Order: sequence, then structure tokens, then C-alpha cells
Amino acid sequence: MARRNPMRDEIAIVGVGSTDFSRDAGGISAAKLGAQACIAAIQDAGIDKSEIDGVVGALEPGAPRANQMSSILGLNDITHHSSPMPVAVSALVDAMTAIFSGQCDTVLVYYAFTRAPWNSRSAAQDPFRSYLGGMMSGGLKAPPMPESIDPSAAYTAWAQRYIHEYDVPRETFGRVAMNMRANAARNPKAAMKTPLTMEAYLEARMIRDPLCMLDMDIPVDGADAFILTTTEKAKKLTPNPVVVHTATAGMVGRNDEDQLPSLERHGQHVVVEALKERSDVWIDDVDVFFPYDGFSIITLGWIENMGFAKRGQAGRWMLDHWDEDLGCVMIDGRVPMNPHGGSLSEGASRGTGHLREAVMQLRGDAGERQVHDAKTALIGCGGFFFNSQGAILKRL
Amino acid sequence: MSESVSDAELVERFPWVQITHDSKFHFRGWLDKQLLINRCADCGNWHHPPKPVCPVCWSENLVPTEVDGTGTIHLAMALHQGAPAPGVDYAKGPHPVVAVDLDGADGVRFSSTVIGLPPEEVVIGLPVELDWVERYGHPFPVFRKREA
Repeated sequence: MARRNPMRDEIAIVGVGSTDFSRDAGGISAAKLGAQACIAAIQDAGIDKSEIDGVVGALEPGAPRANQMSSILGLNDITHHSSPMPVAVSALVDAMTAIFSGQCDTVLVYYAFTRAPWNSRSAAQDPFRSYLGGMMSGGLKAPPMPESIDPSAAYTAWAQRYIHEYDVPRETFGRVAMNMRANAARNPKAAMKTPLTMEAYLEARMIRDPLCMLDMDIPVDGADAFILTTTEKAKKLTPNPVVVHTATAGMVGRNDEDQLPSLERHGQHVVVEALKERSDVWIDDVDVFFPYDGFSIITLGWIENMGFAKRGQAGRWMLDHWDEDLGCVMIDGRVPMNPHGGSLSEGASRGTGHLREAVMQLRGDAGERQVHDAKTALIGCGGFFFNSQGAILKRL
Repeated sequence: MSESVSDAELVERFPWVQITHDSKFHFRGWLDKQLLINRCADCGNWHHPPKPVCPVCWSENLVPTEVDGTGTIHLAMALHQGAPAPGVDYAKGPHPVVAVDLDGADGVRFSSTVIGLPPEEVVIGLPVELDWVERYGHPFPVFRKREA
């Protein structure tokens, strides 16, 4: 069954801008990081700020909303603005639909990240971040109970279920972490570049058994921004623009973290079906693969649910496609997986790093990470519950 | 007992969770050491956490129904660090957290900890039963291993 996809290849990403990602950028606000990335993206696109009439900004703790960023950058005459829920593709889709429907022509999309008191010791010492603690508790007078299976704890619970159902060792998760770290070493923007061995992975501090600190994305200070416009307009800026072939969200009804029916039917499956049915290409056509890795179990899910590996076989599949020289997955000796290092090693960017690297690869601007003549990128963004998303990007 | 507890007092006694008009019955049940799970009086389906309408047939005719709390562990993990709570000391060892498939309430899981068992024995598939401990001065539902 084919689905409608009138936006196919009609929206282009014509600018990208990023700060470095670091575990401590020093005394710099999320607003400033965001502004730096936005200015870089506008300059990269080669447009004047007066051409921007849409602003889509991250709903991230401590980050400025779209109205605030418009004020910071002095963007006038904005006809579409929003602050969608993470992860990255939801902002992408919001900007695409706004352009395609005629609400605006050229959109600034940005995500800004700042380490928070609950996930960084040094951030907890920063008095200017103390208010974030109150945001986290949602106005409640006491912290949630340890037994509350919140979204992040839930990935650990389902990781144990994965181990139980498919009888896999912890090394399967470690292999995901090693892939990201080896790739991050080739990315100057990445927060974590020191090599990672399996021995070091297995000895890393356990946080929630069976997942250790290296299974969880690394909180960073940093920001990414993008400029989107019509493909028609993009062709006047560059001869071979990067276009969005298709992008989607995916969710099932019973998405409460501890009530999800099973690992065999959740948001990722809805995403995969929608992408396939709206697309001319699929995994055999992909030059670079971006599975989200906010938690290592999510990456295993994308590998299997997109059809690269059979259920429970992602670990075996990574070994079969492992490049010993590079220390990472090269699918069929050719296609890397998160060549920028992903959220586990570049930094926790809710998938904006994946999206940015996809654009860089398709433009041929990925430096020593460049995949030869990359034309198609596949992104599986987000996890199992409420934020599963996906996109296919192409070079025209 | 819980009948006499006002809404304001209920909120005061559970400072760590956002109680709503849809979930107030569930938490009142805790005060009486009753685990109440929503069941639809029209189609018979169960759901949790408490929702305003039945997700299957959209009936508002929902009945908080006591379950005996026996079940089987579906999800399990051991927290080496986590949110603070009375009686939880991560320095003494990891704190188990489980989601249990409840017997008699088809498709519903209830999440809590397991007491009286070393963390390494808290595994998926283990039969458990409900018990109650004291937390923040109110009864708190937990599980323990169910002996055959």
C-alpha cells in the first residue's frame, strides 16, 4: 500500500550551523549557544536574515523558545513559529509542513542543549542553572519515587527484556558504544573522543543494571541549527541541494513506558512502515545510516526494525559488518553507522547531530568521515514510546 | 479509612506524584492497602495508569477494581543510583525495580520494587505477590517472591 507523499523532495535543507559539543562549555548560556548555531546556519545558507519568515525552536530545558530566539536575533515579520517536542525530526517535519502549506517560505530550525543539575555534577554547581531543577520536578514537592519507570529508566527495563528474550550478552550493547566512540574520534565537534575497548565498557560504572554509563547519551553544552526552504528556491542557492525525501513520526496507542505491549510493536515499527510506503528507496539504497542512540538499546531496535538484522540478531550483525581497522560498523564494507559519533559520543543532541551529519555527508562536506559519493541517508530518530521518528534525506 | 481523607489531604500525603481526578481512587486505595486498577464496566477491559475513559470502547463507566496483586515479572532492572526515597539506600546495594503482569487484569502491568530477595534473584518470569511497606508515612505497594 503506497501512501500519499506530496512533499517528497520538495523541501531542502540549505544551511547548517553548529557549536562544538562539550561536557562543559564554561559560562555560556543555552541561548548563546543557540544563537551562535543559528547565525552560522544563516551564513552557511548564504541568505539574509530578512528572508527568514519561520522559526521552529527546541523545547529543551533552559533553551530559548522560538519567540525568544526571534527576539535575540532580531528576526522580523515571522509568519510561522513553534516549539515542538523533541526529538529532532519533529522540528524538521513541522518546518517542512509549514513551508509546503505556504505558512512561510524559509525556516530557521534550532536545538540548544545545556547540561542540567540532575545530569551533570558541574552543572549542579552553576547557580544560573539552579532554576532548571524546579522545572524537572514539575512543581511537585518531592522527587518521583525510584520505582517510577520514567522514559529514561524504561529503556533499561526493556533492555533487560531484550536480553531475556534473545539471550544476548552485555557485549551486544558494548558494541554499539564502541562504534560511536571510534566514529567520534574522527569528528572535531565530538565531546568524547578517547578510544573505548570492550574491556573498558564492561568495567564502566553501572547506573541501572543492565545499562551502564556508556549505554546512555552524554549530557553536553551545544547547539545545532538548520535552514529549510522550498527545493525550488534551494536550486537558486546551490546546484545540488539536500532534500527531504520523506520524514515521519510513529506511535502506538499503549505507549506508557511500562505498559508497552512488546518489543515487537512500538513507535519504531510505525515509523518504518510509513517511511517505506512513502519512499522510492530503502535500506539497500542507503549510503549512510543514522540510528538514534540516546540509549544503546534504541540503536539495536532501529537496526532490527529497519530490517538490517533479524530480531535479536543486531549484535551478530554488527560483528558481521565490523571493520577492525576503523573500529566501527561498515555495512557491506561501505556504509557507516553514525559516522559523527552519535549521542553516545558526540553528545546528547536529541538527534540533531544525526540530522546535521546526514546533511554534511550528502553535501560532501564530512571531511575524513566522508562516505564516497553519498546520495542517500536514512535516519531513525528517537526511541520506543512517544518520540519515534524517521527521515530519508537525498542529494538531488 | 480513605473515605474520610479529603482531596487536599490526599495531595498532601503523596507529594511525589501528580494526582488527578482520574487517579485519586487509585491512591486512596493505597491508604486502605488496596491495589485498585481501572476496569471498564461496559467492555470489561482493564487499563493502567488510570485514564479518563476506557481506551478500548471510550466508556466513562470505569470501576477502580481491587486485584489480589499476584503476577509475573515482565520487566526488571536494578538501580545503582536513582531518586531518593525513605528506606532506599543505594550505598547498601542496587535497588530492584520491576513491572509485573498482574494476574486477572489482562494486559496491565504494575511497577514497584521487590522486597525480601537479593537483587540478582529479581528476574523476568519470577512469580510475585503484593505486599505493603510504609513510605512517607503511607502504605506503599511492593512485591515479594510468591512461593509455590
